[in-house]
Amino acid sequence: MSESIIYHSIKVNDQKCIGCVVCMKACPTKAIRIKERKARVNAERCIDCGECYRVCPYDAVTPLTTKTSDINLFKIKVALPSPVLYSQFGGEIMPDEILNALQEIGFDYVYDEALICEMASVAIEEYLERNKSPRPIISSTCPVVVRLIQRLFPSLVSLIIRMEPPREIAAKNLRKEISKEKQIPEDEIGIFHITPCPAKMVSINRPETMEKSNLDGAISIREIYNQIMQKLRKRERKFLLQTQSQISGIGIGWAISGGEIRGIKQDASVSVSGVYDTIKILNEVESGKIKNIEYLECLICPDGCIGGPLTVENRFLAKTHILKLIRKFGERNRIDINYVKQLYEKNFFSFERDIQPKPFSPLDMDKSEAIKKLRKKERILKNLPGINCGVCGAPDCESFAEDLVRGEQNLTIGKCVFLGE
Amino acid sequence: MNQEAILSEEFEISGGDFVNGGRASCLIKNILKEIGIDAEILRRVAIAAYEAEMNVVMYARRGIMKLVLTPKRIIIKVEDEGPGIHDIELAMQPGYSTATPEMREMGFGAGMGLPNIKKNSDKFNIESTVGKGTNLEIIINLNNKNV
Repeated sequence: MSESIIYHSIKVNDQKCIGCVVCMKACPTKAIRIKERKARVNAERCIDCGECYRVCPYDAVTPLTTKTSDINLFKIKVALPSPVLYSQFGGEIMPDEILNALQEIGFDYVYDEALICEMASVAIEEYLERNKSPRPIISSTCPVVVRLIQRLFPSLVSLIIRMEPPREIAAKNLRKEISKEKQIPEDEIGIFHITPCPAKMVSINRPETMEKSNLDGAISIREIYNQIMQKLRKRERKFLLQTQSQISGIGIGWAISGGEIRGIKQDASVSVSGVYDTIKILNEVESGKIKNIEYLECLICPDGCIGGPLTVENRFLAKTHILKLIRKFGERNRIDINYVKQLYEKNFFSFERDIQPKPFSPLDMDKSEAIKKLRKKERILKNLPGINCGVCGAPDCESFAEDLVRGEQNLTIGKCVFLGE
Repeated sequence: MNQEAILSEEFEISGGDFVNGGRASCLIKNILKEIGIDAEILRRVAIAAYEAEMNVVMYARRGIMKLVLTPKRIIIKVEDEGPGIHDIELAMQPGYSTATPEMREMGFGAGMGLPNIKKNSDKFNIESTVGKGTNLEIIINLNNKNV
């Protein structure tokens, strides 16, 4: 696999990067090395979780999300905000006001994703009922979790639910409806997710389960935040609340960990959030240690999407805001369950093509050679100090030993400050 | 030891140690991942090894888990010192278990351990001597991609 063809949503800015070890240490898949005083990301190992972006003390990691001005490339501009957006402006401002503000910024249509989230909850239940495949079924909502499974837990790919996440379903539906209503070709409509998550760019530009994503881009909440704030400040807050009946409490819940399983009636479902806890539970699933669980929701960000790297509001406050909105809009179904079941029948939620495992390259393609290298790695590791300082440019001694046996260019054991000259 | 073995490893298992139970099978899983064993095969090995390990943890005093890799197959051998199994045929029946109520409360002892190991193996041998211990041999064939 050539590195250049793997697309990623984050980029290191070499002008700003000074080659400290902070991102390298934080990376959960050990994808970062420091070479010649710059952070270098191994494209195969990176899962776009955004941890490096969160921790960089020099603002040297840039998420490659869509610029707001890019919406002008399309005749009809549509915003599809993640329910997380509703949690970003304090607990008093209601979803409608935020949707209106987006419209004022220049979107022709603004669509509430939460309603589709609620539909997805019904569809997931239907899926669980109809598919007697091995359990637990794992959610496909978080694109980082999907990539993590493909890379680190390839044997669990078969457990991922074969259903598109709400953002894709919503965009697919919208494009058809708007095209029909406005009598314009589908490709003149630009649909943009307003997102807390850089990884959405990967699922849009390099979708795993379809030819082409239904979305045209993802705009970072951080980027559009100030513009929304300005509109919110100016507006007179009296003639609002006209479309509130359309907003779904169950759907809004998808912004936080546990939201997806709150919408389904299965008792035996579990929600996990945060990258390390997700890796831990997937490890346990892989060992067959997790039994009697029907559905597993894993979200890579702490507390779910409200903990996304591209959010502004403190995630604990954001969580409180979301819980408040859930209470306000109620937990009863706003959608027609039979209608969702009909859509399900027509494969409306299904993947276009199946998802494949993409494991990390083994130590060697030849098994015997790989075993020799494994042994060599163990021998090297025994001689290293084991304090994982990172000065050699690898996150820990084990990664350094592995880089050595993989034959990393210009790398010798002398790079270790404790063993070197 | 198998002559054509290209890898063999041994891990100790302590009976009654639920805290570390599952560690040996996890190490085996990680080794196989590093050398690039196919995902589906890996999953079968992981599950079979975990169930076998937990049987030792639950019932035996101690045991050894051996991983042997040959160009054509993965062999997991588990040898324990423990009570042994009175009636292997009965023990192989799904749902049959001698687990105590306490173990069941912890989610163990559903009587699916041995059947699950068998289901995930291409060949499964079990020998047991009451009062002495139990030996398992789990063989999982590698597919052509892995040879």
